[in-house]
Amino acid sequence: MTDIKEIEIQPQEKKSCSGSKCMVSRRTFLLGSGAAAASTVMITMFPGTSNAKKVKAQVARYPRKKIGNIKRLKTGKPVGFNYPDKGDYSTQMLVKTGTHCGGGVGRSKDVVAFSTTCSHQGGDLEGTYNKKYVTVGQCPFHLSTFDLTKHGMVASGQAYEALPQVVLEVDKKGDIYAIGIMGLLFGRADNLKS
Amino acid sequence: MANPYYIPEDKVPLPPKNADVLTTACDYCIVGCAYKVYRWPVHGPDGGMKASQNALGIDFPCAPLEAWPAPNQYNQVMHKDKLHNIMILPDRDTDYVNKGDSSIRGGCIAQKVYNPKTPTHDRLKTPLMRINGSLLPVSWDLALDVAADVYKYVLEKHGPTACAMKSYSYQYVENTYAIRKFFFRHINSPAFSDHDNPGHYSSTPGFRDAGLDNFGPAYDDWGDAETLFIMGTDPWETKTIIFTQFIKPAIEGGQKCIIMMPRRSTGVAFAEANGGLWLDIVPGTDAVVTGAIMKIIVENGWEDKAWLKKWANNKWEVSSGFGQGTRNTNWQWRTTWGKFQAKGLDDWKKWILSQKEFDLKTASKMSGCSAKKIKKAAEMLAKPKKDGSRVKASIAIEKGAYWAANTLATNACAQLGYLVGAGGRPGQMIGRMGGHQRGGQSGGRFPTNKSPQKVPGRRRLKLNVDVWVRSGHARFAHVIGTTWTTAMTGTQSMQARFEELITRNPHQIDSFNKADIIKTLRARADSGGMVVINQDIYLRDPIGTRYSDIIFPAATWGEEDFMRAQGERRLRLYSKFMDAPGDAKPDWWIIAQLAKRMGLAGKGDFDWKNSNEVAEETARFSRKGRKAYNMVLVAAKAEGKTLHQKMRELGTDGIQGPTFYVKGKLFGSKRLHDTTLADRIGKNNGDSQDPANYISSITDLVQGANILGKKTTGFNTQTGKINVQKFPWSITGDQWEWFKPRGDELWMANGRQNEIWQSKFDDFRRPYIMQRWPENFCEINAVDAKKRGIESGDRVVLWSNRVPVLKDTILGVKGSDYQFSDLMKNGHVELTKGAITAIAVVTPDIKKGVVFTDFNDPRSQANALTSGVPDAISGNWLFKMAICNVAKIGESSYKKDMWSFSFVRRGIVDSKTS
Repeated sequence: MTDIKEIEIQPQEKKSCSGSKCMVSRRTFLLGSGAAAASTVMITMFPGTSNAKKVKAQVARYPRKKIGNIKRLKTGKPVGFNYPDKGDYSTQMLVKTGTHCGGGVGRSKDVVAFSTTCSHQGGDLEGTYNKKYVTVGQCPFHLSTFDLTKHGMVASGQAYEALPQVVLEVDKKGDIYAIGIMGLLFGRADNLKS
Repeated sequence: MANPYYIPEDKVPLPPKNADVLTTACDYCIVGCAYKVYRWPVHGPDGGMKASQNALGIDFPCAPLEAWPAPNQYNQVMHKDKLHNIMILPDRDTDYVNKGDSSIRGGCIAQKVYNPKTPTHDRLKTPLMRINGSLLPVSWDLALDVAADVYKYVLEKHGPTACAMKSYSYQYVENTYAIRKFFFRHINSPAFSDHDNPGHYSSTPGFRDAGLDNFGPAYDDWGDAETLFIMGTDPWETKTIIFTQFIKPAIEGGQKCIIMMPRRSTGVAFAEANGGLWLDIVPGTDAVVTGAIMKIIVENGWEDKAWLKKWANNKWEVSSGFGQGTRNTNWQWRTTWGKFQAKGLDDWKKWILSQKEFDLKTASKMSGCSAKKIKKAAEMLAKPKKDGSRVKASIAIEKGAYWAANTLATNACAQLGYLVGAGGRPGQMIGRMGGHQRGGQSGGRFPTNKSPQKVPGRRRLKLNVDVWVRSGHARFAHVIGTTWTTAMTGTQSMQARFEELITRNPHQIDSFNKADIIKTLRARADSGGMVVINQDIYLRDPIGTRYSDIIFPAATWGEEDFMRAQGERRLRLYSKFMDAPGDAKPDWWIIAQLAKRMGLAGKGDFDWKNSNEVAEETARFSRKGRKAYNMVLVAAKAEGKTLHQKMRELGTDGIQGPTFYVKGKLFGSKRLHDTTLADRIGKNNGDSQDPANYISSITDLVQGANILGKKTTGFNTQTGKINVQKFPWSITGDQWEWFKPRGDELWMANGRQNEIWQSKFDDFRRPYIMQRWPENFCEINAVDAKKRGIESGDRVVLWSNRVPVLKDTILGVKGSDYQFSDLMKNGHVELTKGAITAIAVVTPDIKKGVVFTDFNDPRSQANALTSGVPDAISGNWLFKMAICNVAKIGESSYKKDMWSFSFVRRGIVDSKTS
């Protein structure tokens, strides 16, 4: 899909890990794709302008966790799961939207997962999925709404960041794995420290 | 596809316990939210996850509503030549304004600051001069010497009116004071206009005439009203925190919120779903619908009789007053005698009942808003409750209304308020909700009497500077912090004129020799062309890129200590926390340099060493204003401090003007027109903003250097009571009638979105925001879209072959000479063409027959289609009333792209909305 093409993959630089930073296996998330390969992701910032430049994007190390099977999902019915741990703000929602979504997996690229905590001031977004518009919100605190077809972009509202998206991949059996998070979960200073 | 995208970070450094903490307020909208800047060296250790280890004093993961720092709130800056981390977070330690909340705009303000690694890298860092067609870096001395010489030459040879200035009105009292002192007092030219007007006009003439200050209410008043009627704005989109902190909780507690505008944006949808009302009108009909509501109120006898009896000027009082009687009031000067004046309330009632445009059926037909809704609004505002008591109602207005029908809408707003007993009591107030913050401070008398523009008799009008320039009368233009051509109506024909006067003039700098440069620019002015100098923080297109001969780099928010007030007159110090980029200097310094080099400064004049010295000089000029802060200076001196030191001590709570200093206590004014202030004295209500809690009698407020204006406890009229005034549709209705869409034309309105707003020079440099709004948009109703084969994501062209533009500065001989129909008839209006492109958003949240685009979006200027003929009475442009044709010109890449541009409608209320 369009968004993948913009990402150049560099050869993996193998490093031995030690200490707390290596408590999880080193993985990459290739934004918007189901493929998994350890990498440094290069992206072009401010494309099409004189400011265009290649920069190193955030590569985080996350656990690979099975969170469900694609055959069991019902369109428009979100299910919850915890990721990357079971600590505060680890509640995420997995949903088959029925619409092609940025970062979506499955045959129709319509299965996505997002945080259920508002990336403004921590409002609880559980139960606010709108299947008609494929949005989450309004947040009960300050009425932010997020567009799940576009990587959780704020559709209208206050959120300081897009709604954090859990990066997914699917294996041949249809098992869905969470492999990373794009964006910082509300309440945390580091996604991997809870 | 490479549309703008933003890959968020997944961790953020925390400020350590010993981080510097400085207070400031947001640079953007009127609300003026309180912020704290945390600053620590990049090499110093970051803070830890425990409350005891970080400056935020909270454990991570933190709780909802705690000071969670998002990656967009973090940046790196240079401070005293050393690289520092900064984190800018809404202040949670103040009980006022935002109380820790923030919008997306202020919330991401850390991305505003200069950092060469971000899109802010192109801040102006050195003066530039256009030599051989290119803008080349030059020294301050060369740039200032040339500008000062040519400025002075034009002033002396061609006179003050040949010198024109277009400047921001809001960017801190130190700067605006210096600018106006220089231009009003020393250049002494009437060719001055603010960034949002063609001349130095009142935005809300109807308020002034009725006796109201624009910013009388306290934010608490919007929340304390039982019914809140808002004309021409959705505060959720445009002054978010007033909505989220004051109005939303009120609505949840039962407030009925009525919003009148063509668009059902997020706040409107929320109000409507929670017992409020959306009055879906077409542009320019606010006064008609408001008139119809008033007529219903009068017919039913629902007006606040007791309030009006006590406070409305009767027919004798209307004509009374020493020097401020009816023959000498602003409103009489603006119009031909008697058109607005009512001989007391009974006369006014007779008048409104006789106005055919205000008949319910007619108003409904003209506005497109159902009669049922109009009637419902009247009931919500004024129908007595079951126990016979009144509803506590407040009325607010903003540009969607008063930039579509300026004099009429502001007058109608004031009158509706008065009728329902609003204007002078807690929870019952009338005011503007506001646009920019209030940082204007005059530094001299505006020379109205030098204006070449006038209406019959001796009534001189303030000059319409845009038309003056268009007419070719200005030889030197000084532009400060505005794009001028694109920010004004009829943009495209105005730019064609700028091209003629500037870029196509044969006298262009082609030498590095100072004498040659001066000779060339003098020759430009003498030949009838125009020389342009520009002060700004970025190179703006086209005023900087194409038209300016000399550009001065300005230092801004966070780079200098500044003072300013917000929408409830709350003054704060905006702290300097970083170095300005390169050689950028604050505007007051640039002005002082020009004044001195032009020989305009007397001994010791313009000799400021820092911004506090400017601020202290401004204080006495503020005394009669709504944000009078002279008493803060008096208190500061009594305590051996500077004004800025005292302001810093007041922190983010700040103090609300007008300020008072009584018996060693410094306090402010919670609201203006506070008719119940005296009644509250001696009954401590625990409100630290309420002046009643600081005094033992009203006479305390006139002791010493304190100044008690009429507006503190009464109104700005000859008697201190309210003027009940007429607002006949015939005053400006002819322009609306002419504009009414013909054939396939649609009304075109424009305005703001929460996410991208009045500070696009910053918005465009935030990748997070640019993925949301990578281009201008055009909201179109599904019915209108279908007819034109338009889908969301299509690229459309909006064009008009009838953009009327006033081409001459004229002298009014007859009373109706400035009337739209007469200007047309007499050949002063040229019909020009305009076109812009935008990305279609098909939505049920815009009224059928109306399209809505982003206001003042430099990427595709809605002003290309707006009317270049001003309001006949006030002279203001009507930015919000235009017509256009719409057609698809292809599909945009956003239609299939997964990263940019959301087409989600704004009026989703909850998951149940469909």
